[in-house]
Amino acid sequence: MPVDRRKAAVFGGALALRLLLLILFPSLPDLLTGRVEVSTPVTSFKRLQEGLFLYNRNVSPYDGGVFHQAPLLLPIFSLLPDAQEYPLPTALFYSLVDLLNANALVTISDSAQAVSGRLYSSIRKGIKWDGSVVAAWFLFNPFTIATCLGRSTGVFTSTGILYALSAAVQGQTLNSMLALGLASHLSIYPALLFIPLVLLCYDRQAERTGTTPSTALFVVKHLAVFLSSIAGLLGISLLIIGDFSTLLSATYGFQLLVPDLTPNIGLWWYFFIEIFDSFRDFFLGVFWLHLTAYAGSLTVRLRRQPLFVVTSLLGIFAVFKPYPSISDASLYFSLLPLYRHYFPLMRYTFFSVSALLYASLLGPAFYHLWIYAGSGNANFFYAITLVWSLGLSLTIADTIFAALRDEWEQENPDKRGKTVKQV
Amino acid sequence: MVSPAALPPLPFNPSRVRSYLLRLPLFTRLVVLVIILFWLLELQTVWSVVQWGSLIPDEIGLSTMYRLNTYPVIHTGFFHTFINLLAVTPLLERFEAEHGTLTAIALFIGPLSTLPAGIYLVIEKFILHSNTAVAGASVWAFLLLGSESIRTFKSNPYFSLGNYKIPTWTSPLFACVLVWILVPNTSFLGHLCSVLIGYLLGLGYLKFFVPPEKILRWIEGKLNLLGRLPHYVSVDQKTYGRYGVLPTAGAPGGERGTPMSFLGGSSMALKSSIRKLRNNPQFLFIRLPYILSFLCIVAGVVWLFLLPLDDYSRKNYISENALLPGQVHAYFSGSEQHIFRGYKKELEGLLGNEGSEEGQKNEERTPVISDKIQSILRAAGLKVATQEYEYTSSGISHRGENIYAIIQAPRGDATEAIVLVAAWKTVNGELNLNGVTLALTLARYFKRWSLWSKDIIFVLPPDSKTGTQAWIDAYHDMQPSTVQPLPLKSGALQGGLVIEYPFNHRFENLHIVYDGVNGQLPNLDIFNTAVSIAGGQMGIGTRLQEMWEHNGSYEKRLQTMLRGMVKQGFGYATGAHSSFMPYHIDAITLQTHGNGWQDEMALGRTVEGLTRSLNNLLEHLHQSFFFYLLMQTHRFVSIGTYLPSAMLIAGNFTIMAIALWLRTGYSQGSPNVIAATNDEKTSEKSPLTSPDKADSVEQETTNKAAERQLALPLSLVVGLHLLGLIPLYIFNNLSHGNYTLATLISIVTNALLPLLLAALLSRNSTTTQQTHLIKSLSLLLLGLFLSTLATLNFSLSFMIGLLCAPLSFVHRISAETAPVLRYTLSIAGLVFLNILSPPVVLLAGCAYFGVSVETVLMEAAFGWDVWGMWTQVVVWCVWWPTWVVGGALVGVSLF
Repeated sequence: MPVDRRKAAVFGGALALRLLLLILFPSLPDLLTGRVEVSTPVTSFKRLQEGLFLYNRNVSPYDGGVFHQAPLLLPIFSLLPDAQEYPLPTALFYSLVDLLNANALVTISDSAQAVSGRLYSSIRKGIKWDGSVVAAWFLFNPFTIATCLGRSTGVFTSTGILYALSAAVQGQTLNSMLALGLASHLSIYPALLFIPLVLLCYDRQAERTGTTPSTALFVVKHLAVFLSSIAGLLGISLLIIGDFSTLLSATYGFQLLVPDLTPNIGLWWYFFIEIFDSFRDFFLGVFWLHLTAYAGSLTVRLRRQPLFVVTSLLGIFAVFKPYPSISDASLYFSLLPLYRHYFPLMRYTFFSVSALLYASLLGPAFYHLWIYAGSGNANFFYAITLVWSLGLSLTIADTIFAALRDEWEQENPDKRGKTVKQV
Repeated sequence: MVSPAALPPLPFNPSRVRSYLLRLPLFTRLVVLVIILFWLLELQTVWSVVQWGSLIPDEIGLSTMYRLNTYPVIHTGFFHTFINLLAVTPLLERFEAEHGTLTAIALFIGPLSTLPAGIYLVIEKFILHSNTAVAGASVWAFLLLGSESIRTFKSNPYFSLGNYKIPTWTSPLFACVLVWILVPNTSFLGHLCSVLIGYLLGLGYLKFFVPPEKILRWIEGKLNLLGRLPHYVSVDQKTYGRYGVLPTAGAPGGERGTPMSFLGGSSMALKSSIRKLRNNPQFLFIRLPYILSFLCIVAGVVWLFLLPLDDYSRKNYISENALLPGQVHAYFSGSEQHIFRGYKKELEGLLGNEGSEEGQKNEERTPVISDKIQSILRAAGLKVATQEYEYTSSGISHRGENIYAIIQAPRGDATEAIVLVAAWKTVNGELNLNGVTLALTLARYFKRWSLWSKDIIFVLPPDSKTGTQAWIDAYHDMQPSTVQPLPLKSGALQGGLVIEYPFNHRFENLHIVYDGVNGQLPNLDIFNTAVSIAGGQMGIGTRLQEMWEHNGSYEKRLQTMLRGMVKQGFGYATGAHSSFMPYHIDAITLQTHGNGWQDEMALGRTVEGLTRSLNNLLEHLHQSFFFYLLMQTHRFVSIGTYLPSAMLIAGNFTIMAIALWLRTGYSQGSPNVIAATNDEKTSEKSPLTSPDKADSVEQETTNKAAERQLALPLSLVVGLHLLGLIPLYIFNNLSHGNYTLATLISIVTNALLPLLLAALLSRNSTTTQQTHLIKSLSLLLLGLFLSTLATLNFSLSFMIGLLCAPLSFVHRISAETAPVLRYTLSIAGLVFLNILSPPVVLLAGCAYFGVSVETVLMEAAFGWDVWGMWTQVVVWCVWWPTWVVGGALVGVSLF
């Protein structure tokens, strides 16, 4: 089959590229692991190794306050040989995870849920990329490659989210909830995707069976599955760690209360460094409230396209979550090619892409000036993270505009191709 | 005519303003012109126009009576000029339109300037006894307002404000008070005087100043002023109408079109071309970007040449208070000189013991000398250690042994240290015997002082290129496997000084070298401290950038700056201090130069003073600038002032990229005949507008949104940038004998590669859109890289930007061009581009500086291997790919 051959070529090429980079530049993984753009306090591979070291010596991995990731990762990684001495198995493992993610993307793309769902099908459904192109955009994205080589544990969260989506579009609603449970267990924020995801599941179910079951019952049932999957994972974690309060405060507490203000590409660290301590709790609440607010409002506005809501929310998380890294951005960029049919409607593609390119070049340069050369200061880097966030926000706003425009054109067929002005 | 959606409609109608401005009568035009001229004249600093022409009561004498007439056209600044012009122009236009040009000239040059001035002078000088200078056209504005208000009063005598009736003639007085309150530095009295004269004029008491109509008419008739002067307003408006001719319905497009005006044709062409610009997307997308890009480049270069002027550069100053340069007495003298001589004798005695049979002294540092140095340091009571290292680059091995010794601070806790370096060989390969001896003497001398709060480390490497690099790498545990780790360490290094004294006679001045690897610079404070201690305390002159004669003139400053930029741009190590810079340790080299009366003791005292200053530091040098260009020992330009020039050059590529991107979004359809408007039809009659005709045809094509085909352009541009890694790898890993050959091969490859690419592109029948996209993406990346680079290494970014500048303007020549012209143009373009290719520029540079290609490339490979220099990365992965794309696009037109 020709399509499968293309897919195999893309997957094989991606795997080869990753291994080639590893062999040609043996110091690259360690370099990337140390970059603040790739590794955040909650996804850093270095910190994972620290936790692993403690775990293998029967000490609580959370002693010392360096490791803050889910304990589930520890038994998995202790199966792999030491990454310092044998980098190849770990790199291979991460590459395979990337391929799994790409596979999930292919499934999502092949389901064509992005162009036509139960409630809405775009008037431009002819413009579409097939699964292997979408996978290629994901696998050959430099951000994805950097994340993979930097061995950020954020990729496991991405896997959870992508599998939740791929199961949902296939109609396997229980699997979807379980996968989302895994993602939420690893890093809390995917739990916010529950509402659009459950709607996507509902739509698929209704589409397949041809009946419309009670929405409330459906949601409650799936919420129960979702919560019990998290509870089950927490139970397994408890077997590994033993101390429940340490586990919660070191993982969930660390993600929610943001005590580590190591620079990253997000907007939180600088703000919370500058803020007076007495206001910290208040603004922590405000920031989280801001982040959660999008989930409900976007779902309401774009009820007919739940997959698009998930995509946009992932983009918003990549900007506004407490410890964002380029792996979050790469997850968002991996879902964007599904909306190839919206590209002609977007207005600022070139400018947002330029802003992102400028930011991804100037970011490391300014970080260098600040940390190594000592001739710049924190404001240099922070300014660039603002540009980066601006570029991402522009892209998100632009795609949402395109989606709304597409809906509007479907409702008003006579206005197609006319310019609109907001008043 | 389809205007692009990107252009929002203007909030007001510019055509009205334009037509108003075009209809301004002659005298008003002249006044506006003169006012602007005088304002421009005031911009220079030699002759103060305001001082010359304004109405200063004490300056008025018989010979300075001209001030009574000149003061209304002279203004003190831009805003003064601008606001007065806004106020006066409409009033004056009205007056002139009503009374004719000749009358206006007679009145405004004469009585209407001198009378208010006279009254003002009398009141100011003889009643108030003060001396406030006045200037500006506001006097005419208020005068005309006064006369207008009288006229209004006659027809409409009162405002009603509730029960009160306010006479309308008071309105200028209100205006006068308001202006006095709201605008600073306005002369209330002056305005009042002019309002007064305005009232008199309005009431008709000044009629006798108006020349008799008969005479005016005679002059007008004799000289045929109406026919000769454009925009002239006749005395006799009843005959000729307000503007010399009665407006007729047939006058095209609101154009005044005086039938007697000889210049009417050209103004018409101008007008229609202005209108065309506004509605012309073709101009906006195709012509304008080229103009803007070119302007950016020119502005960037001009900006650079402005920097040496006093207005743009600043005087150096010490920013860090703790340094206290030259505030301590230096005690290094007297008996220390005997120690110095003793050490020198001992070292000289060992020199050349082994090579003496050749008749020429062997200047290498032999193990015997090493042992001697170590024993001297040990005898002085320092902890001594050695470090062996070896580097291999271009097949040549560099090995040596560093000796270093530490004075532990009596008043410190070994957390901070200062480094003094004296290499056995200077950076030019001369024997630095005096420098090393001085370092040894200073080590013994410093050891006995109890005031050090930082450790002092003396490093004595065998040469200036590899030794310090090996030492500093090992100090931070970053050494490669061929370099030994350091057995003895101290705290964080705060600063470094390198001493070079490579001759035996006395010296005249100190040459301070400050450039680091990759164009990084030390904090300006350390340079300033050195200059101020050497010059201020020791009386030793300082020089920089090998500018031995520097008189502070523009040329010398420019030369100094350019030399600094070249060094910074190449990014190589200019001395033993350069290796310190990547670790954020500020360091400079002090080189002795010339033949004068300063001896080694003076140099020693300077070093002592500098070390004392560094010893005073409370924290790492951070106050002053890290990015600067030095013009002179006491003048510099900071990054905020110079950065725009490189950014403008980088910006030109981005502008071009954006324009090309926008252009590819529209596809050109069939010519649209209906879009031709009356204006073009009329302008076609004029011979002057015929070149525009082509444009108007072009412009009448409809534009539609087009889908961009990105796959080929994207993969080509990204692929070429990755391909740059191959020459980078080859040139960094060749053996030293092959460099010249490799350069020649790369020149030939460079000539062929664009043609090959062009052949491939044209075989795949690449569309115009795709070639535009290729160029757009390639220029976008170039602009991106250069603007990032400008923040790291300004000079390199500027140089590469200038060399790439033609790439903004070369493009595939349209297939519709006549073949002969097309082939000649594209071949000429290719030849021109090949002259600017990286290896050819390298050859030309080598020929200009008189060094061999092999040396340069060896140095570059050495820099890559040892110093971590990345100039060649920029050349091969930024400059070269863009160049290939440019060449390929020109080449496509051949096929």
